[in-house]
Amino acid sequence: MEIIEKIKTNKSYNNLTEIQKICLHKLQSSPLPNPKSELWRLSNKSKLSTFLDYSVNEKDSKFDIPYPKNSQSIIRLIIGENCQIKLNEKNYSIHQLSEDELQKYIKEQISFFKQNENWSDLLNLSLSCKNNILGLKINGSKIPPIEIFSHASINSLKAKTLVIFLEKNCDVELLQVNLGKENSSLSQSTFFCLKENSSLNHGVVSYGENRSNLLNSLNVIQQKNSAYNLGSLHFKFNYARFEISIKQAEGNAKTNIKGMQITKKDEQISTYTKIEFNGPNGFLDQINKSLADDKSHAIFEGSIIVPKIAQRTDASQLSRNLLLSNLAQIDTKPQLEIIADDVKCKHGATISQLNEEELFYMRTRGVTLTEASKLQLSSYFQEIISFIPISKQKWDLLDKLLNDN
Amino acid sequence: MVNENLVKDVVKEPYKYGFVTDIETEKIEKGLNEDIIKLISQKKEEPQFLLDFRLKAFKKWQKMKEPDWAALGYKKIDYQDIIYYSAPKQKEKISSLDEVDPKLLETFDKLGIPLTEQKKLTNVAVDAVFDSVSIATTFREELAEHGVIFCSISEAVKNHADLIEKYLGTVVPASDNYFAALNSAVFSDGSFVYIPKGVTCPMDLSSYFRINSGDSGQFERTLIIAEELSSVSYLEGCTAPMFDTNTLHAAVVELIALDDASIKYSTVQNWYAGDEEGIGGIFNFVTKRGKCLGKRSKISWSQVETGSAITWKYPSCLLLGEESVGEFYSVALTNNLQQADTGTKMIHIGPKTKSTIVSKGISAGKSKNSYRGLVKMGRKATGSRNYSQCDSMLIGDQASANTFPYIKSQQPNSEIEHEASTCRISEDQLFYLQSRGIEFEEAVSMMVSGFCRDVFNQLPMEFAAEADKLLALKLEGSVG
Repeated sequence: MEIIEKIKTNKSYNNLTEIQKICLHKLQSSPLPNPKSELWRLSNKSKLSTFLDYSVNEKDSKFDIPYPKNSQSIIRLIIGENCQIKLNEKNYSIHQLSEDELQKYIKEQISFFKQNENWSDLLNLSLSCKNNILGLKINGSKIPPIEIFSHASINSLKAKTLVIFLEKNCDVELLQVNLGKENSSLSQSTFFCLKENSSLNHGVVSYGENRSNLLNSLNVIQQKNSAYNLGSLHFKFNYARFEISIKQAEGNAKTNIKGMQITKKDEQISTYTKIEFNGPNGFLDQINKSLADDKSHAIFEGSIIVPKIAQRTDASQLSRNLLLSNLAQIDTKPQLEIIADDVKCKHGATISQLNEEELFYMRTRGVTLTEASKLQLSSYFQEIISFIPISKQKWDLLDKLLNDN
Repeated sequence: MVNENLVKDVVKEPYKYGFVTDIETEKIEKGLNEDIIKLISQKKEEPQFLLDFRLKAFKKWQKMKEPDWAALGYKKIDYQDIIYYSAPKQKEKISSLDEVDPKLLETFDKLGIPLTEQKKLTNVAVDAVFDSVSIATTFREELAEHGVIFCSISEAVKNHADLIEKYLGTVVPASDNYFAALNSAVFSDGSFVYIPKGVTCPMDLSSYFRINSGDSGQFERTLIIAEELSSVSYLEGCTAPMFDTNTLHAAVVELIALDDASIKYSTVQNWYAGDEEGIGGIFNFVTKRGKCLGKRSKISWSQVETGSAITWKYPSCLLLGEESVGEFYSVALTNNLQQADTGTKMIHIGPKTKSTIVSKGISAGKSKNSYRGLVKMGRKATGSRNYSQCDSMLIGDQASANTFPYIKSQQPNSEIEHEASTCRISEDQLFYLQSRGIEFEEAVSMMVSGFCRDVFNQLPMEFAAEADKLLALKLEGSVG
């Protein structure tokens, strides 16, 4: 519980906000994962400890956005940079949530937190100060694309929180970029609330530099007839953990997830997803891809929970993994927990290396081995990247990934 | 629209092996401590190494915690409230079956296990275990002609102590898990099989476990050793009477296959499952593991799990030898308040090893049926392959089906494939069958049978028939 002491000594306890106090208190009763519980989640506790090695620092260092703004219409926000936004256009409006609204919502969310499950959110909320919490309420249609950046600072631990309400019938495209810095830790917690008939195309791109750590938690609540599409990409982190929790509050909603993690050197990146169907006619299509090279370790754990009320749920989950080195490791655990009987649920998992027959075919056609591997990898990446709402002209992620290889 | 009540009726079937044999038994007092262990060892006239093995295991067990990770909920077991040794009273030494208490023979007769000479027509040798001791082993002379040793483990301890000392606890060490440690400390009987080099066992071997008393646990231990180029098919069956208390069954099975050897181990588990309210039934905590030590060796597990209130069982294969093969075929049927957490572990250590997992779960009533499996490719398992398939069928909206596969790979030059699906009895198929004049009950039965076919095909003839009959019985009911 060093981290709790750290937070307490860093600021005097009385200066903390009410939410920070509640979270600290909760953290004490539901502690951080221990080596054994991490083992069950297939990951390694020592890596998590490196995340907590840095001290909490509220001041942001200078931040360079990785690519230029595509067009003037894009709404770009950087968490922590005192961004004020109030847009009232003909078709849509974007407002910042008032202090009270934010407090009320976060408190409500905390009350739903389960013991031992939401420690990363509790940690985030107990660390993130007022400036690092961004709350938005979005209403209307024809909304220009939104980009939200979170970034770490060298030699410190930062926590940033994002809360977004999507009002009824609202349709949004949102790209979230989390950037790690050298020797840094970033805790990012995101809360989405999708009202009826709303739709969100959400992209998450997270990458770091040398020795960066990331704890990324995403909580989504979907009301009836809402659609949530997530394309995510995590790479270049010493330690990264992406925890996704999606709740279809009344069923009758659609969720599509396409995620990918790429690990090299001695990195460890894990994705944990938990999708709960609390009503009938829910739909889920999920694919998670991992690629592990060198001495790295990639982990995926996905659980689909279908209680009795969730009749006629149609859920599928696929974990596809590429293991490229003798010293790398991939662990995957797709889980189904089903009580309803009239459901269609399936999952699948594969772990292999690049397809040798395909490589051979390309080589017989005069393509070099390096080129052929690149081609295969690009098709492997492309499926996920094409699902992330970004403009290709300005930021070619595929190119970035392939050339990094 | 399928009438769900009809389907529920169809899967109801009274337990027909629930009778108690009224026989005088010799029991030791309840409780577990070093003296009890010494007493068991003394009763069985065991050599010192085995007593040491037991006491060491007991010390380890005392330091261990009961596992709580399985998706099972059951009331706490009071390990001091169990009788660890119970045996039917009989004459000192039995030289032939004629001297076995006729009541015991009658019991096994009723269970469909022929022990008496005139009924030994089927070509299966049987070792019958009643509570804590082995009653009889048939066809011993015929087997001995081929050099096959098939006897109770207590006899093996006396007559083949070298083999026991060499192999006991090498596959499932005493410290492996809580229940294996308990078994290592108090195991009473079980079967021992040794197939010498180059011998294909001339007949199927089988052991039949019967729990008779309500307050004693059953802790049997089975050890099968297949030498180079040998092969054996082993069948295991179990039943217990109906008591309103829970009885503990914690067994350990160890298989060892050397170069080019093959072992096929089939189980039809039909312990008493408790009544509709979940009262009574066997708590079944079993550790089964096979070691493919030799090159090109093969271990195949097939199981039909229909009984027990609680099932905690993961028959596994350690694939050490080059090109060794592990297989797991399972059907688990749960009804009423039964809970099953079962699956397998395939640990690929040697190169070019292969494993196949086919698991079919059927949950009805308010039962809970979980598949939990581990597939692991070690760093040296180049060119290894695994294929897993786990299907669940749900009958009624109160039952639950879970799938927890753990897949770990450290070897890029290996392939793992896993797929799982959950569905319910297809209305279209049911309608089609009924429209062709097939009774509802038979149609459901046919569909369940078809669902399990991949597994039934793997069972030996005698068992396939029994398993099919067992499922049909469970599905037979009040319709029509």
